[in-house]
Amino acid sequence: MHSRRPGKITSPIVSLSTSYVRLIPLGLLIGAAGLGLAYFMSIPQGGLKRFSYSYLVTYCSLLSMSVGCLFFVTVQHLTRAGWSVTVRRIAEIFAMCLIPMFVLFLPILLPVMMQRDDVYQWVNPAWLAGDREMFREIKNAYLNPTWFAVRIVTYFVIWGMMAYSFFGKSLQQDKTADPQLSRKMQKSATWKMIILAATIVFASFDLEMSLSPRWFSTMFPVYFFAGGVMSAMAVLILTAALLQRSGRVTDEITVEHYHDLAKLTFGFIFFWGYIAFSQFMLIWYANLPEETFWYKFRMGDSASSGWIFWSLMLLFGHLLIPFLAMMARTVRRNKTYLLFATIFILCMHWVDHFWIIMPQLNITMGATDVSGSDPAANPLPFSWLIDVPCAIGLLGVYVAMFSAIAADRPLVPLHDPRLEEALNYRNA
Amino acid sequence: MAASVDLSLDNTYEDPSRRADLVLGGMTYGDITDNVAEIWEAGRPPTAWYIVFGIAVVLLGILGVCLLHLFFMGVGVWGNNNPVYWGFPIVNFVFWVGIGHAGTLISAILFLFRQNWRTSINRAAEAMTIFAVVCAGLFPGVHIGRIWVFYWLFPVPTEHLAMWPNFRSPLLWDVFAVGTYATVSLLFWYMGMVPDIATFRDRAKTKLQKIIYGVLSLGWTGSARAWHRYEMAYTILAALATPLVLSVHTIVSFDFAVSQLPGWHTTIFPPYFVAGAIFSGFAMVVTLLVPCRSLFKLERLITIRHLENMNKIIMATGLMVGTAYGIEFFIAWYGGVDYERFAFINRAFGNYGISYWIMVTCNVFIPQLFWIRWFRTNLVAMVIISIFVNIGMWFERFVILMSLTRDFLPSSWGNFYPSMIDILMLIGSFGLFFTLFCLFCRFLPIIAISEVKNVSPQTLHAHGHDHHEEHATAH
Amino acid sequence: MAHSHKHEKPVETGPKSRLISLVAQFDDPHALVVACDRAREAGYKQFDAYSPFPVHGIDDAIGIRRTRLPFFVLAVALGACVFALFLQYYVNATDESPIFPGYKFFISGKPLFSLPANIPVTFEIIVLSSAFATFFGMWILNGLPRLANPLQRIPMFRRATNDKFFLVLEAKDDKFSENRSRQQLEEWGATAIEECHEDLTDQKIPAGLRRAGILLLFALLLPPALIYRVSGMTYRQPRLHVVPDMDWQDRYNPQTRGPNIGTPERPRPLFADGRAMRKPVPGTIARGDLTENDEYFRGYKTGTAPSESQSGPYAAIQDGMAAPETPPEPEWVDVFPEDITVDADFVKRGKQRFEIYCVACHGYDGNGEGLVNQRAVSLAATGDAAWTAAKSLHDPAVKSQPVGRIFDTISNGRATMGPYKDQIPVKDRWAIAAYVKALQKTGIKSPADLANDQGTATPAGN
Repeated sequence: MHSRRPGKITSPIVSLSTSYVRLIPLGLLIGAAGLGLAYFMSIPQGGLKRFSYSYLVTYCSLLSMSVGCLFFVTVQHLTRAGWSVTVRRIAEIFAMCLIPMFVLFLPILLPVMMQRDDVYQWVNPAWLAGDREMFREIKNAYLNPTWFAVRIVTYFVIWGMMAYSFFGKSLQQDKTADPQLSRKMQKSATWKMIILAATIVFASFDLEMSLSPRWFSTMFPVYFFAGGVMSAMAVLILTAALLQRSGRVTDEITVEHYHDLAKLTFGFIFFWGYIAFSQFMLIWYANLPEETFWYKFRMGDSASSGWIFWSLMLLFGHLLIPFLAMMARTVRRNKTYLLFATIFILCMHWVDHFWIIMPQLNITMGATDVSGSDPAANPLPFSWLIDVPCAIGLLGVYVAMFSAIAADRPLVPLHDPRLEEALNYRNA
Repeated sequence: MAASVDLSLDNTYEDPSRRADLVLGGMTYGDITDNVAEIWEAGRPPTAWYIVFGIAVVLLGILGVCLLHLFFMGVGVWGNNNPVYWGFPIVNFVFWVGIGHAGTLISAILFLFRQNWRTSINRAAEAMTIFAVVCAGLFPGVHIGRIWVFYWLFPVPTEHLAMWPNFRSPLLWDVFAVGTYATVSLLFWYMGMVPDIATFRDRAKTKLQKIIYGVLSLGWTGSARAWHRYEMAYTILAALATPLVLSVHTIVSFDFAVSQLPGWHTTIFPPYFVAGAIFSGFAMVVTLLVPCRSLFKLERLITIRHLENMNKIIMATGLMVGTAYGIEFFIAWYGGVDYERFAFINRAFGNYGISYWIMVTCNVFIPQLFWIRWFRTNLVAMVIISIFVNIGMWFERFVILMSLTRDFLPSSWGNFYPSMIDILMLIGSFGLFFTLFCLFCRFLPIIAISEVKNVSPQTLHAHGHDHHEEHATAH
Repeated sequence: MAHSHKHEKPVETGPKSRLISLVAQFDDPHALVVACDRAREAGYKQFDAYSPFPVHGIDDAIGIRRTRLPFFVLAVALGACVFALFLQYYVNATDESPIFPGYKFFISGKPLFSLPANIPVTFEIIVLSSAFATFFGMWILNGLPRLANPLQRIPMFRRATNDKFFLVLEAKDDKFSENRSRQQLEEWGATAIEECHEDLTDQKIPAGLRRAGILLLFALLLPPALIYRVSGMTYRQPRLHVVPDMDWQDRYNPQTRGPNIGTPERPRPLFADGRAMRKPVPGTIARGDLTENDEYFRGYKTGTAPSESQSGPYAAIQDGMAAPETPPEPEWVDVFPEDITVDADFVKRGKQRFEIYCVACHGYDGNGEGLVNQRAVSLAATGDAAWTAAKSLHDPAVKSQPVGRIFDTISNGRATMGPYKDQIPVKDRWAIAAYVKALQKTGIKSPADLANDQGTATPAGN
């Protein structure tokens, strides 16, 4: 029999301590360099438009991941989970990143407000020329800059308030050790979950689905959500592993937590595959022109557009390989292995958003034929010198944000009433 | 001890610092065994059991007569006609398959999520799954017209016919999905029951009982080595059943969603159907277990907390279904496709508008009562609400099906009228379901005895009693 | 319980019964785990614990190694995946096989083997196979089902499935000695200890039961045997009509009189012309009857059709075998149309069709000496019949014909030869034409050559 650990924190370092002082400028520096290089390299290839698309890919990857973390926190309270207490704080910090994420969205939002259709084609009503009156009315009623901005602000206000409420109460509990705070969070998690679901639905429509304003799929929010939660689970593992490698929270996050998070990652890899397959299969099977063009373009196999390669990369890299790789119990309990596996999964999460967003750049940059049958006009818009620095740069800013929020605050809840349960949990 | 009696009988309190007990009244292992085995050992079951069983058998008889009539007259005895080729049979099929899903959710998904409270209800819920799938399989099974060549549904090699099923048809996927689901549920249910059947074997009094339960228990003795492999197998089956349960209702939704019919072709159908299935299934579990619990005196094993948890899940899945209704409406408008828009307006205000509002009322509005604690914990209230949910979920499938009455061409529109046989077969299927369930209550362990023992306070506190004083004093 | 106990007693104490294990009872799971720990520490290897539910931590206490069941299941799952994909490919995307051929048919424009549509069934087959592997694998690894277990003869042990916990030390363990082990068990906290003796009762299944079982097994074989027997049988009697109104439906057929929608006294047809159904719109072409491609369907180059229709072969036949007037000829194609790929299989097919339709008159060698021709010529010699001898295909006039002309001859006939386009599908006619061309290339062998061929073949054959 294994003796029970008391519900006490025993690690020597439980916060970023002073490292955050170094991490913030470092992240911002990387951000400035990466984004600057990306913008500079974009100039000959379409300028702001090219850069904005690349920016949006990484932005949406990080946003869906942060929203996934907010979901994780909410669902842990909703289900009164005990095992996850020691990793919940990290998720709370990621969810808190949603507040500064609004500022990061301004480079996309401000041009929209200034009636520039670099990213969102619908900003310029000319895209509807030649459509029926009814169709124009509907699309203009939903897709217009003012209404878009109102919605975006609403999402961020709601997410920000939710994240702040969870994070704030959790920090308060560190000081007061009041178990009633947990109860309050559990109670509010019910209606918060409903609002969160509603905002995720419309945010996914606005941010990504409206890039191709004629296309629609009721499954899209679930697809966005599935990828987001999968990446959230992966990033929690990755962050926990990196923190422990640097000697922080060494005692609290045990191999059992890695095991559980890895199981959840595995589950959401499969869930993502299920949703992605269902959405694809239904559109492929019914073959309706108003829907199928979206996939047809992404399955184009001409030498220069080559989106089929990215589609297959998702099938193998985002579903089959991680699915098999995360299956075994031994690998789920191996921190070093998980470190590499989660980095791979997070890269694939980025590829997923690249695959959603970038084809629209092809279509709007010169191609007149939406079906993508004119390959010459559709060079594949991936560039090592734009997209990669842009991703690294934005990631740098994100790390700076994380560090600023984490600061010298504890990275595990110090007095959660279920801390003892979390510390003693053992997978069968 | 005396002071904690009240606390130990009400386990619906919210205290983040301790987990609520799942077995109340300080039951020992022997008490748990006796409590469940007494239902089976009793000379005669309660009178209520005879009443329910009697009614169920009568309804089953009606179903049998309807089936014979159907076999000799052909499927024309149903109301199915142009343009609604699939009438009540598919509505009933989807309804019953959906009911079944809660059983798998409880036994597999909640197991993977380590929800210990599942142990008191999983056996009955799994049994419900199997009986519901039997009812579900009945409807498409008799709808194939020439039922004496039903085996053509399967890829059976025929030397001279050179004929095979079409693997690109969602209806064939259904055959595989429902067939797999029924088989795996049965294996899972039986495997879970073997240790409890062994308990019955060891308590058997008559020779016949000894032989039957002896054979069914496969010689189980509860050896630690056997338990080890058994638990592993249980986990694997749970891990298989989880995607399976998703796939089954997904594939059922494909029956509709791969078509091009407005109102049917919607990509959200797969998860939305799954949520709806779990929603209706949980409602059925509540409907069944609340009377069972009182009738067989299982209040200390199926506690109010168990029921409350189920009601919370009903509320959550009800909200998911409601969200899906909303997304569908939004996209029907946003997509700008005239046919889609018409289909949804017609759904709410058209020829079958009334069933739409029944569906919304029962599925979205009424379960909101569960926000109030009194409704979650009051036995009568929860049974009434759960029956409403089942009515609502039946109507949901009916509403979806009625999209067929108004398609692209007004010239091909038409209405659907169920025949008397349709209605009698729907009622009769409940007879089949309740007959099987009554027999199950009488002859098999309706609570997973060994699993409940594993999560009972006696076990949980035995683990920690020497290291954790707080628990000991609280007890 | 007590009743059965009485019967067991003499067996247990009998001279031949051997002690096989010591059974110790414990009252709670914790005590069992502690006892198991002690037993392992004391060096016991052959022991097992029995409990009414899986006791947490007992695996480590006994030292049970993790089961390999998951790997077995994974292997089955991968096999099922391959099998399912192959099944669907074979069944829906192939149709030529010596036995149980597949069935190609096109559904909603999807490819014959379309992976997205095959995923659901593949998934279900994987899950089903894995579930079977798990279920049966677990029982097999556990050595169950087991009909008799000596432990179950101990009354106390019945509570192993209820509320007591047991540790069983096997006598075959090296460390086992009856007295010392008993003492140890007591030290470890056992509340009761009993001996388990070898079961000397007759464990054989009664002969009658066994015979019944064997008979039942054979009886189980009957249905598949009967199905195998009747599959592929033909019947002279009309089949059983189970649902008569499906077999004889109340409906109108094309080209029949329509319903009377008036009264019997004043009949009024549904349509003015009295038909049950409308005639198709002029120019309607039935499915599969679209024959626009001249090269493929008629054997001449597009646009070279003779302006007036050829006088058909029937005219010639009705004219009493008069020498046919030479009709204006189109420009025949001299290469095979694009839709045809001439390869060994195609010529083989042509040979087979040629031997069905052509050899009766033209003979196997194409020299015009088929059996019908021989008979007709002999009849014609007596003056009983008029006969134009079948053409030798090796006739220079025939040899020089372009392939399109040969195709046309097969399709429409020439002189006394009838048309075969109604009997032989287009592709097969091209195949025959290909075979005829091949025959012409090889030429006719003289009897001497044939003898030589046989001469060389004979020694080898013998």
